[in-house]
Amino acid sequence: MRVPLSWLREYVPIEMPIDELTEKLSIATAEVEGLERIGVPDADGNLERFRVGRVLEAEKHPNADRLQLCRVDIGEGEPRQIVCGAWNFGPGATVAVALPGAVLPGGLELERRKVRGELSDGMILAEDEVELGPDHAGIMVLAEGPEPGTPLAEVLPLVEDVLVLEPTGNRPDLLAVYGIAREVAALQAVPLGPWPGSDPGPVPNRQVEVEVADFEGCPRYIGRLFENVRIGPSPLWLKARLLAAGMRPIANVVDITNYVMLALGNPLHAFDFDTLGGGRIVVRRARNDEKLRTLDGVERRLEPDDLLIADAERAIALAGIMGGEETEIGESTAKVLLEAANFEPFTIFRTSERLRLRTEGSNRWEKGVDPYLAAPAAELATQLLRDLAGADWTAQADVHAGLPERPVVCFRPERADEVIGLETPEHDQYMLLGRLGFDRDGGNVVVPTWRARDISREIDVVEEVARFRLEDVPFTLPLRRAMFGSLTREQRLRRRVEEALVGLGFAETYTPSLVADDETAWKLPEPIAVELTALRTSLLPSLVEAARRNVDAGAGRIALFEIARVYFSNGELPNERLHLAAIAQGGFARAKGVVETVYEALKAEPRFERGEHHLLHPGKTARTSAGVLGELNPRVLPGEWGAVELDLELLFSESREPVAYEDVITYPAVRQDLAFVVPEEIEAGELVDAAREAAGPELREVEIFDVYRGEQVGEGKKSIAFSVAFQSPERTLSDEDAAALREKIADALAKRFGAILRSA
Amino acid sequence: MTENEATVAAVDWEAYEREASAALAAANSPPELDGARVRYLGRKSELAQALRGVRDRESGMLLNGIRERLEAAVTEREQRLEDEELDHRLRDEFVDVTLPGEQLAVGHLHPITQVRRIVEDSFLGLGYEIWDDREVETVEYNFDKLAFAPTHSSRSPRDTFYFDETHLLRTETSPSQIHVLEKQAPPIYMVSIGRVYRRDAITATRYPIFHQFEGLAVDEGITLADLKGTLLHVMRALYGPERQVRFRTHFFPFTEPSIEPDVSCGICGGVGCRTCKYSGWLEMGGAGVVDPQVFQNVDVDPERWSGFAFGCGLERAAQLRHNIPDIRLLWDGDLRVLRQF
Repeated sequence: MRVPLSWLREYVPIEMPIDELTEKLSIATAEVEGLERIGVPDADGNLERFRVGRVLEAEKHPNADRLQLCRVDIGEGEPRQIVCGAWNFGPGATVAVALPGAVLPGGLELERRKVRGELSDGMILAEDEVELGPDHAGIMVLAEGPEPGTPLAEVLPLVEDVLVLEPTGNRPDLLAVYGIAREVAALQAVPLGPWPGSDPGPVPNRQVEVEVADFEGCPRYIGRLFENVRIGPSPLWLKARLLAAGMRPIANVVDITNYVMLALGNPLHAFDFDTLGGGRIVVRRARNDEKLRTLDGVERRLEPDDLLIADAERAIALAGIMGGEETEIGESTAKVLLEAANFEPFTIFRTSERLRLRTEGSNRWEKGVDPYLAAPAAELATQLLRDLAGADWTAQADVHAGLPERPVVCFRPERADEVIGLETPEHDQYMLLGRLGFDRDGGNVVVPTWRARDISREIDVVEEVARFRLEDVPFTLPLRRAMFGSLTREQRLRRRVEEALVGLGFAETYTPSLVADDETAWKLPEPIAVELTALRTSLLPSLVEAARRNVDAGAGRIALFEIARVYFSNGELPNERLHLAAIAQGGFARAKGVVETVYEALKAEPRFERGEHHLLHPGKTARTSAGVLGELNPRVLPGEWGAVELDLELLFSESREPVAYEDVITYPAVRQDLAFVVPEEIEAGELVDAAREAAGPELREVEIFDVYRGEQVGEGKKSIAFSVAFQSPERTLSDEDAAALREKIADALAKRFGAILRSA
Repeated sequence: MTENEATVAAVDWEAYEREASAALAAANSPPELDGARVRYLGRKSELAQALRGVRDRESGMLLNGIRERLEAAVTEREQRLEDEELDHRLRDEFVDVTLPGEQLAVGHLHPITQVRRIVEDSFLGLGYEIWDDREVETVEYNFDKLAFAPTHSSRSPRDTFYFDETHLLRTETSPSQIHVLEKQAPPIYMVSIGRVYRRDAITATRYPIFHQFEGLAVDEGITLADLKGTLLHVMRALYGPERQVRFRTHFFPFTEPSIEPDVSCGICGGVGCRTCKYSGWLEMGGAGVVDPQVFQNVDVDPERWSGFAFGCGLERAAQLRHNIPDIRLLWDGDLRVLRQF
């Protein structure tokens, strides 16, 4: 919402420095995006160089057919000679003059210069040159009155400060200059000026024919008929206000509807009455397959939920959103039907959403406009139509099925103090609420109509008090009872995994959880980009891409990990699992080392089996009960890469955390090396498992330290060397005990794998 | 008189000891020392020979005394020579300390994780529990139970990622408030941290996927002032002890009163600069007192219990804390960026 300050001042005095006001508005009312200065730059006495002038002589330029040579009195005694390209004036006209040295809004500095051989000692201004209007067809001809030489800024709003606010969705009352003024009045504790506009003269007896067929969608419809309307440009002050507020002036009638919307917050619409079939208005829902060409020239196909303004025959406007082309006000319009209605938010929202058509009007309606507002809006518009378009008000209608009562809400000032945590004297609370339009009624307050949608409960009234006290709210902490914070086991172990990977030199990364089409049911039907279409079921592809980008960027020692969710189809909602994925330069052994270290950090023991994965090398892929690891298939990414993806919940379930102490000090371990010759296809892990099974818990450690192939062991065979430690927590093992254990292992391995014990 | 007896008597042992001591003291290298040791203490030395012939107690004591003292002198001298040699070596050895060390790798926690941990730790310190919930939500939990009006713009498919009419990617971590309130009776102090999704185009300041932390306190007698104190604590943990916090009014469907917290700008110290758009303040997210309607939606008595809730973006916190100009840098996985943290 753009609020020109000169307009705001019409409704409320501004008594504090503007910076202080914007800060207070930001805190109590709505975010202030800024204070914009528009129009003529006012630094270095620039405004002094803009004067009122009276044209003394005007004739054709001797060397140019399209230029006029004028002599203009600007109160200096001696008139100035000025060359001008416009012809919409003659001797005697009061005009706006910029003198040499003047800087125009665009930054252009005027110079005294010769135009086609004749000196031009200044410029006669058109409205667009000082940002007062869009027109450049002629220069501004001012009303008679001001003496030549009068500073132009005293006659025209050459400089304007515009407050740019962004009210929240619950405050449609702030999408109006008068609504902002009400807040400014409350902030400064000064009175707010009266509603602008009042009905001129007697209310006509003739009725406009209005039928509201759907009071749910249209709770109120005020229609007013105006005759003898003279369509023409709006006066400069109005054009300047619309421009400053961000709307483009068009012609008086349409400008007036926009002006009233900006002033009060009630969107209006004007129809050319002579184009209405049967001269009547019907508010109804659309029929199947009904069509309407809207003002933007688009033919809209309507649906039965859409609320329409129709005449006796056809649709003439999309209620609250946009008028129709056929009933648009034109230059020859003589009779205007003014609509000051009220529309229900959800109806407007749904249609505007479906048609993807948002307008200044729909934006206000969908937030809920006060139905009482239609009357003052109609009054202000009526006054302006009479004053600015010479219109006669000849007929009227105000159709509604009863307007809602003002809400009455229980309000306890002490409750406000309890919620805010700050005492505000009762008297101050009621004073403040009074300035905002609330009335006190014993232990209740009566809510103003323009806040009725937003305020229906005591807490809503408390907020009204709170927002004016935010700067004074103290800093306290809750008086907690019996609450203690601690990380859960999963949260603690997650941190341990993160630390372990950081310790291994991995850099943590974050990648998007949406990917190009994955094999998942969870796809967005309308993604913002193809590569952000589906919820991923695996983190690895994203890490491969990140690794690739790093290769391209020339990074060395690439090692990345990520902990994030993946999403598996699982009935109504996906099964969201926390995964860990890592990728690093180095082959299978790197991947395996990473997995072993992560397990070690979690006090868990991994069991590896051969596995498969579409991104991994078919011969160099393993799995554990928590996931997969291996060397990347070189087709996926050139070079040797280790890759891992584990499910953290499964991983954590294997953690022995908290670890139970084992006595390994009282009775010493017996350490031995054992080497077995086995057929090539036997995997070392199988031997370890079998050895553990055979020897039981007294085999405390078993580690593989060498794999040997060669003549001594024979073709198709290999020797695997283990270092083992036998130990008991209850006694010292003798050499005989150790020998017996070794025997058990050798027997078991011989039986299951044909393994031959090489060393004794 | 035997030969040995003669030997004992034939030598002036006082002079022998003096001479030997002098020779040992004069030895300037291990070989010299060894030579002197062999000469005066070795198997063929006069002392060793004399000792072999000793028969009487008196001579034995005399000669053994000399031997022990000389052996001690050898050990002492040996130690001394070793020390001197080491001193020498240490004097001669040196490295170019400006050359790089052994290449040991240490990794890096992502700035978002670092900020997440600061947030987690501050709330743990305040007695909160950490909780995360599902990212795929229903319209019921993401909007309805949080009292979003049917016309609220967040419901629009232009703002929110829908899978179908009832399923969507959560637009804030607030649905977890509802899940917690349904599962657990007050008092509740929890902070929920996780990914959220909004239908924004990717730019320097917006990313359709980001992280939020969202706190909820429900207890008897919770006030807006408690919210202000809590946020001050967390903002100072994130940005430093000098930071100030202020509230601005706002609107959220699930809080009443609703506010937006600002933290004073750390770049200009609150005077106004480009980062804070010359306001001296930086927006931090949204917050407010839990709307009684939300309590009613989960069968918690709003007359007895009150609470506050707030939500802030982790990316924004990481950007502010580490001066990261472009949000996309947090999502690119670029080691040139990650290795700085």
